[in-house]
Amino acid sequence: MNEIALAPVAVLLAAPLLTALLSAATNHPFVLRALNLGTMTALALSEAVIVGDLSGHGAITTLWGLVYLDGLSAFILLIIIAIGCTASVYSWDYLADHVARGTIAPGRTRLFFCLFHLFLFAMIVATLANSLGVLWVAMEGTTLATAFLISFFRTREGLEAGWKYLILCSVGIALALFGTVLMYYSSVRVLGDVSAALNVTILQQVASQLDPQVLKLAFIFVLVGYGTKIGLAPMHSWVPEAYGEAPAPVVAMLAGVLETVAVYALLRTKSIVDQAVPDYYTGNLLLLLGLLSFVVAALFILIQHDYKRMFAYSSIEHMGIAIAGFGVGGPAGTFGGLFHLLNHALAKSLAFFAAGNIHRRFGTREIQEVHGMASVQPITALAVLIAGLALAGMPPFSMFLSEMLVLSSLATQSFASDTLHLGRFITVIIAHDVRNLAVVLLFLLFAVALFGGFIYRVVLMVWGTAPRDVPSGERWSVSHIPLAVTALALIGLGWAIPEPVKGLMDQAVIVLLGR
Amino acid sequence: MTSILQAVVLIAVQTGIMLAVAPFIVGLIRKVKARLQLRRGAGVLQPYADLAKLFRKQPIISTTTSWIFTATPYILFASTLLAGLLVPMFTSRIPLSFAGNIIALVYLFGLGTFFLILAGLDAGSAFGGMGSSREAIVASLTEPAMIMSIFAIALTAGSTNLSTIVHKTALLDGIVLDPSPHLMALAALMIVALAETGRVPVDNPATHLELTMIHEAMVLEYSGRYLALVEWAAALKLLVFLTLIANVFAPWGIATSLEPVALAVGVVAYLAKVSGLALVIGVIESMFAKLRLFRLPDFLGLAFILALLAVIFFYVLRG
Amino acid sequence: MPAFDIGSQLVNLGSALLLLSCFAIVAQRRLSACVDLFALQSVFLAATAALVAFLTGIHHIYAAAGLTILIKAVVIPNILKQVIERLNVNREVDMNVNVPTGLLICGGLVMLAFFITQPIIPLGALLTRDSLAIALAIVLIGFFTMIARNKAVTQIIGFLVMENGLFLGATAAAYGMPLIVELGVFFDVLVGTLIIGLYTHRLQDTFDTVDTSRLTALKE
Repeated sequence: MNEIALAPVAVLLAAPLLTALLSAATNHPFVLRALNLGTMTALALSEAVIVGDLSGHGAITTLWGLVYLDGLSAFILLIIIAIGCTASVYSWDYLADHVARGTIAPGRTRLFFCLFHLFLFAMIVATLANSLGVLWVAMEGTTLATAFLISFFRTREGLEAGWKYLILCSVGIALALFGTVLMYYSSVRVLGDVSAALNVTILQQVASQLDPQVLKLAFIFVLVGYGTKIGLAPMHSWVPEAYGEAPAPVVAMLAGVLETVAVYALLRTKSIVDQAVPDYYTGNLLLLLGLLSFVVAALFILIQHDYKRMFAYSSIEHMGIAIAGFGVGGPAGTFGGLFHLLNHALAKSLAFFAAGNIHRRFGTREIQEVHGMASVQPITALAVLIAGLALAGMPPFSMFLSEMLVLSSLATQSFASDTLHLGRFITVIIAHDVRNLAVVLLFLLFAVALFGGFIYRVVLMVWGTAPRDVPSGERWSVSHIPLAVTALALIGLGWAIPEPVKGLMDQAVIVLLGR
Repeated sequence: MTSILQAVVLIAVQTGIMLAVAPFIVGLIRKVKARLQLRRGAGVLQPYADLAKLFRKQPIISTTTSWIFTATPYILFASTLLAGLLVPMFTSRIPLSFAGNIIALVYLFGLGTFFLILAGLDAGSAFGGMGSSREAIVASLTEPAMIMSIFAIALTAGSTNLSTIVHKTALLDGIVLDPSPHLMALAALMIVALAETGRVPVDNPATHLELTMIHEAMVLEYSGRYLALVEWAAALKLLVFLTLIANVFAPWGIATSLEPVALAVGVVAYLAKVSGLALVIGVIESMFAKLRLFRLPDFLGLAFILALLAVIFFYVLRG
Repeated sequence: MPAFDIGSQLVNLGSALLLLSCFAIVAQRRLSACVDLFALQSVFLAATAALVAFLTGIHHIYAAAGLTILIKAVVIPNILKQVIERLNVNREVDMNVNVPTGLLICGGLVMLAFFITQPIIPLGALLTRDSLAIALAIVLIGFFTMIARNKAVTQIIGFLVMENGLFLGATAAAYGMPLIVELGVFFDVLVGTLIIGLYTHRLQDTFDTVDTSRLTALKE
């Protein structure tokens, strides 16, 4: 259908897979680094070509209809590749350092890169897939690829966290498959054709004829399933443990990218369900789970004493904000949600890169035992400060903008339905401005609590007198480039969004709003 | 006049078949087990010889026992036989169908079990008491499962009358055919049958090991013709359960009218079905080990849940 | 259409057998017997799928049925048996919920599944009416098994039972997923079982137990 798109798509799929295979074959650090750099450059270039293509064509279907790309998937792909690049560069020194300390056997770096690229591959497949079934398979693939990355240090705690992650995500994702089966069930009855009935391109055409009852049920299963992967509130218990135990570059990928891809899976389903079901149905569910995650995470951040877990809860919180934005919907909420996904990916990967540096220097994850980073690790301290302020939603950073967008959409959106059904017999009608006011007040209340707790802990870590046994000073090295780039991006996006990215997000909003 | 005569003849034939076939089924199960254990085993007619021998022997009765001990074999035998007459065997038009309610069947079995438990206690020996208490546990656990599973079947046929259920199922007439409730109820009833007749996962009829026996412990004090009656009643009970399962879940071949040809086909089909079930029980007994007594509630609980599900399935699917 | 009617009865019978084996798994205490029951359930699943393929004439379901036999009834049970062999520990299931209560809860889950799928079942112009509900019930029971049992192996079995339920739902209610998706799902299940099996070894080595309730190093 489209010859221009075939080449970059092929590169996107082949590069990580090939690198995974080649990484498994060699253990030479220099070769591994060169491979990484090559793959990442290839990925970035093909993404650039795709963005260019999309601005001309709108949506691309290629590879015999197996691959479907539109603004939304290209935007998610952008996040995957951006964070993938920084995380891969960051992991060079990180792994070398751990090998030097003897916490990782030298032969296992290749296993790391092999799994890392398989993980990347699974996520790229998830975003490129035309079929919701393949999307599911790829999502399960990410779980499998990361299972050993999380317990890479082979400690007791790491194994425990990995086990919990594996079991919870497998179960969650199984429920998502049931939702997918239900969607298939409804579309097969409209289409009568088996092979393509899960394809996004087909589903978009027939979505309005699908049976709303089945779709409603399907959406609940998909929401619970992919919600587990996103780490939304009632299903979030694996998040702090996995993020606390896994190696820093892996956590940066999990927090920045995997969550985003899971959100993508959810949004893809939502965009189809919305065409058959009144959109406040999915919207209200998302809003509910989003705000719940926000509130739960805010409460847990206040009692954290481990900085990696604190950042993990902050992930839950920010995913809650983004999901709430998508739940409110409308151009403002949706755009805010997408922008928030990008900002969160940047800020959270920065935070975890910094956390990896701190952990290696201080040898502890306790906030109480980390003081005086400003003198011990000035560069990392600056990164923690930037990430902390951005995650707390402070103005000069782009996160402030997206949070404000979501908040203002929460405040102004008039809900399509003001009636709240409690059971079968009780119906409560709430004027929408009262409801908006209540939601916004709740949001602000917890945002303030969260802000205080977060900043307090970051300040505690950055300033103060350093413990005596920790060596002072930080030399500039390659592994600081990801930190610098990410921090600059966070600040830069706060001033202006580059035109191609903006165009991509506008297209994604159009896809999500179904216009 | 003819109808009364007919009824008398039918009852007589059914009684005759039951009395004659019951020991054969026991012998068949033993033979199957022996063969599966690569033994030649006693002939299938051995139980007849055993019964004949026991009837000839002099009974010895403990001096500490009361009338209950001597009355129990007769009560047990009579109640089991009567229960058997309520279940359609080779024809669905049994003369006692006016009384042939499932609940009556359950309570006739209950009566026999009750007296057997009393008799076990009556002799005052340790084994009898132990057997009785265990039997009481098993009986109290199986009863609800049994009633539930039969009710599930009754619901699908719309009647608690056994001959109506069988008649309708055989003719596929006005009955709800749905595999799920039937399957659940069948599994439940199979477990109940194994438990009630003291077969393997619950009890082992071939053991006299004091730690494990249930039914054998209760009847340990009996001898001579009393023991013969108890053994025969046990065989009858097994046969009645097999008849119930065969005819409620697979009534095909049963005579739905009183034509001689149909009746003859019915008798042959009946013998084939119960023999087949006896084979199945022999295989089950060879495959599984006896459960520990404390695990019995799990096993029988499974029967109850399955039966309950069968009922629920019926309501949900029709609801 | 009497022929179709008998066919749908048979498919329902197959689904009911699957559900029955779920209950057997919940009631079973010996690990290796649980694995056997899972293999048996997979055989029922394959038979049901083959039946659907025969009745609808959709050929790729045969392939899925064959894969089910190969992977779920042969390969995975063998992997699990090896895991159990090497564990060399108490081979009984540890449970948070005892068997009768567990069975009652599962009964409740079956009702819940019927209740949830009630609104969409009357639309079933397809082969089966209650297979979808039974499929959901199996998924929920698998989920429950994962929560209620502590041994790592039983948790794998719970996950695989969920997977069987999903496959039943896809096959019986919607005539099977597209082949590429089905292959992907089989691949995921196989790799997932391998990974979980490896994890079990690591857990065994590190904690000297596969009782996952002992995993308490991580606390709030």
